[in-house]
Amino acid sequence: MEVFASSAVQGIVQGSLYALIALGPSLTYGLLRILDVANAAGLTLGAYVGLEAYSATGQWWLALIAGAMAGAVLGWLIQRLLYRPILGRGPIVPLIAGIGVFIAAEEAFRLVFGPYNRTFAATLPLPALQVAGTQVTGVETLILLIGVTVFPATWWLLRRTSLGLAWRATSQDRETAQAMGINIGRVIASIFVIGYALAAVGGVLVGVTYNTVYPTMGDIPAYKMLAIIVLGGLGNPLGTILAAMLIGLVETFVVAYFGFVLPRDAIAFIALILILLVRPRGLLPGDEVVQ
Amino acid sequence: MRSTLRGRAVGFAAAALLIGTVAGACSSSAPAGPITIGFFAPESGFAAADGASAYDAAQLAVKDINTAGGVNGSQISLVNYDDASDAKQAVTIATKLATQDKVTAVVSGSYSDQTLAAAPIFQRNSIPMLAAYAVNPGIPATGNFIFQQDFTGEVEGAAAAVALVKDLGATKVAIVAIQNDFGSSLTTGFTKEAQALGATIVATDNNQFGEKDFTPILQRDVSKGANGFFMAQYYSEAQQYITNWNALGLHLPLVGTEGVDSTTQFFEPVGAAANGMVFTTPFNRDSTDSAVLSFVKSFTAAYSHAPDMVAATTYDSFMVLKQAMAKGTSPAQIQSGIAGTTNFVGVTGTIQSYNSTGEVVKAVDLEIIKDGAVHHYGDVTDPSIITP
Repeated sequence: MEVFASSAVQGIVQGSLYALIALGPSLTYGLLRILDVANAAGLTLGAYVGLEAYSATGQWWLALIAGAMAGAVLGWLIQRLLYRPILGRGPIVPLIAGIGVFIAAEEAFRLVFGPYNRTFAATLPLPALQVAGTQVTGVETLILLIGVTVFPATWWLLRRTSLGLAWRATSQDRETAQAMGINIGRVIASIFVIGYALAAVGGVLVGVTYNTVYPTMGDIPAYKMLAIIVLGGLGNPLGTILAAMLIGLVETFVVAYFGFVLPRDAIAFIALILILLVRPRGLLPGDEVVQ
Repeated sequence: MRSTLRGRAVGFAAAALLIGTVAGACSSSAPAGPITIGFFAPESGFAAADGASAYDAAQLAVKDINTAGGVNGSQISLVNYDDASDAKQAVTIATKLATQDKVTAVVSGSYSDQTLAAAPIFQRNSIPMLAAYAVNPGIPATGNFIFQQDFTGEVEGAAAAVALVKDLGATKVAIVAIQNDFGSSLTTGFTKEAQALGATIVATDNNQFGEKDFTPILQRDVSKGANGFFMAQYYSEAQQYITNWNALGLHLPLVGTEGVDSTTQFFEPVGAAANGMVFTTPFNRDSTDSAVLSFVKSFTAAYSHAPDMVAATTYDSFMVLKQAMAKGTSPAQIQSGIAGTTNFVGVTGTIQSYNSTGEVVKAVDLEIIKDGAVHHYGDVTDPSIITP
């Protein structure tokens, strides 16, 4: 029973982190039909900037804010300089370009910050809690708190704001939305800024949770997030959140009950394959957002 | 207008791809002396700290050798490449060193996967190669020109079993090993010796690089009754393992391996959190030998951190090469010079000999982490264990 409880709690924490990091690619896909691999560069950048901010000031919340801002700037730059100019080129060109930028970004991080693992030992004023007989550390509580704030905020953004309306309209039909007077450039910029800021916050949280920041920390998230957004239903950010929680739980339970019988990261893809066999359009297919 | 924008965007992406590839490519220094020694290490990528440590030691060794008069009056120079922890890169580098740079001998400052990939190329070209710390037994088995400076993984695993089962009294052991040549050869050696000493292996788990959560595995091992743990990991994964270990509040015997032997990436960040852990390594920190003391002093002065196992074995590789080249620098002379080494005293202790496969025969040192610092714990000198 103890294993079940601790796996459930750990799975939810892990799932929340995945959801935070996958939201950006999900929103981007819904908007532009582009699989944005470069989003994971925002994760790594956030972790490094957060680390530097924390080393300079000792304030964990400054680390989060600084990381988020750095991510936002990167997101703005990437959509403006990379994706906007090649929007009309079909899905493959932006995908390859995004991969190229991601690879180059990792090398840039290595050149600027050094190739070594750096420690991110931040003390958070949040106490370790006992939930269902298992221990939840300070940073894990923070992850849950951020999740509990961000996910309803995303729903509110998509359903109750003009930006959300513009997003839904653009994702349905970009040309008609433009004809209706929606400023596509601003919608795209906003989505990238938000998505990359979220990935950056995720990066800070990952860095603190595992006490390590290194140039290639975005590698696994880069492709795992793609599996999660496909699993959740392409184009549906709420489906993404659901899929992320599911993957977090499945990974944790499989390792807890079966050990490292599979590489942990393969589990996300196997879950993806199994669920797509039953529900080919993912858990919550894209058009359900509109209802 | 449209085509300029398109061209610019495509150009940007292409430039980004190109910069990424070039930045990740190897770097090299042009050979300058009559005796060139090739060297490769993972100077970028996840193993960069080990690569940097090895490269630093290589440079120090070359400097020390040249200051002392070089080899038979000739200065030596280093031809260095970064293999980025990529076996394919190691193959490219080996081909380059053998056919373009035409080096006299090679020291590998890299991991087993990369060294294993490079060794056949050096063997084919009759270039003597010493693997500083790669422990896969397949490396020296490649051929007569290939030597292994660090005890093989199976010997090290067996020594770890002696420490955990005989010294620390574990009877039910849980093994968690990294999934690669290093991890598997350690597991093989450990399992055989532990069972010979009467212990049972209750669990063997293999993790991938980048694994960050060992808590479920440790919990399962404890529930299976494990009273001793063997951790065959590199520093990144070991750091997470120790964090999880402490979070679970385990107070059981724990033996690690030289995979954690990195000053900047394990002992400094983890420090006292790993108190009580014993690990196998070729480098004795408490040695009072004057060569060791002087090596530690000059390395620390030059590179602002104490040398680790990777640095010490790399340094010794160059020193072994130097004495092997005393009789001549033709491939056959160097080969027999290395093969004929007897009781060579280096910074990693005494190399008794190299056996017919090119594997080193030397005692395994055991170190322990006490008060956040690395100290000598013991030696495994039993010839039945240390002879590969």
